[in-house]
Amino acid sequence: MKNFRKVAFIVIPAITLSISATAHDPKLHVKKAEKADCSKMDHSKMDMKDPVAIAMMKKCMKQAEKSKGKMDHSKMDHSKMDHSKMKKDEHKTKKKDDQNEHNH
Amino acid sequence: MKIFKFLLLLAALGVGGGATVMYSGIVNVAADEPHSDLVFWLLEQTRENSIKKAAQSIEVPDLSDPELLLTGGADYEYMCSSCHLKPDQIESDMSLGLYPVPPNLAVSGESHKGNEQGDEIESARKHFWVIKHGIKASGMPAWGKTHDDHRIWAMVAFIKRLPTLTPEQYQVLTAIE
Ligand code: HEC
Repeated sequence: MKNFRKVAFIVIPAITLSISATAHDPKLHVKKAEKADCSKMDHSKMDMKDPVAIAMMKKCMKQAEKSKGKMDHSKMDHSKMDHSKMKKDEHKTKKKDDQNEHNH
Repeated sequence: MKIFKFLLLLAALGVGGGATVMYSGIVNVAADEPHSDLVFWLLEQTRENSIKKAAQSIEVPDLSDPELLLTGGADYEYMCSSCHLKPDQIESDMSLGLYPVPPNLAVSGESHKGNEQGDEIESARKHFWVIKHGIKASGMPAWGKTHDDHRIWAMVAFIKRLPTLTPEQYQVLTAIE
């Protein structure tokens, strides 16, 4: 079917040209390199056996690790933080899997 | 002998008809003009059967490692969400403008009309195959040319959970840091 080729001729340049313009809402254009927004995490609602929850904890711990000393306290809601689940000595152990042992 | 002549005539007519359609320019290739039901059905069946066959013996690795969601999530946000959307987003220039329409991967598979999902294993196989090889003459690129299998499996793992994610969960999983 030659049609496929015709369609490809149209579709491929169309995609290449428009790939940067996701939508007309300008808010969507400024999404580059956003930081994870960990302030909205509600630990009480999280099932720590769920890979999604574990992955989110990992992401946020890594982020907290990186910005140690320059935490933005204004964006944090301390009442929602569960300190019993946080490990203080994370930086000593390089092995990622050590973070998996959140037991309830 | 008569039947042979008849078949020959039929073949000639077929080729002639095909050539006429091809060269007359009568077929509209515009993406804002949907296929007729018949053409749509033909293409859909061809696609589904092709993917099913090509993917049937792919071995699916363990996709439960949370780390996969982080790798796959970041990749999905930057390479796929413009076409396949994300939680709470219902349209984008791509999702509206492309034909065939990219399925909304942030909603469950049953709601992609025409895309058979099969069971979990089959669905993972098909997703892996489609992401790696792409789909001809659609907007779906072959990501296997630039990404190794591990990263593709990570996206498969992420897509599997994507319909269950809230916008907040999506944001954390897909953010760069
Ligand atoms: C330029 C737009 C575009 C981009 C970017 C894109 N896709 Fe697609 N994708 C499509 C289209 C269009 C289809 C449907 C093709 C068809 O129906 O023939 C599709 C189909 C798929 C399917 C099959 C869905 C199903 O239910 O059968 C999967 C899985 C998929 N894409 C994953 C991805 C992933 C993962 C990425 C990012 C790495 C991605 N796509 C990037 C356009 C895109």
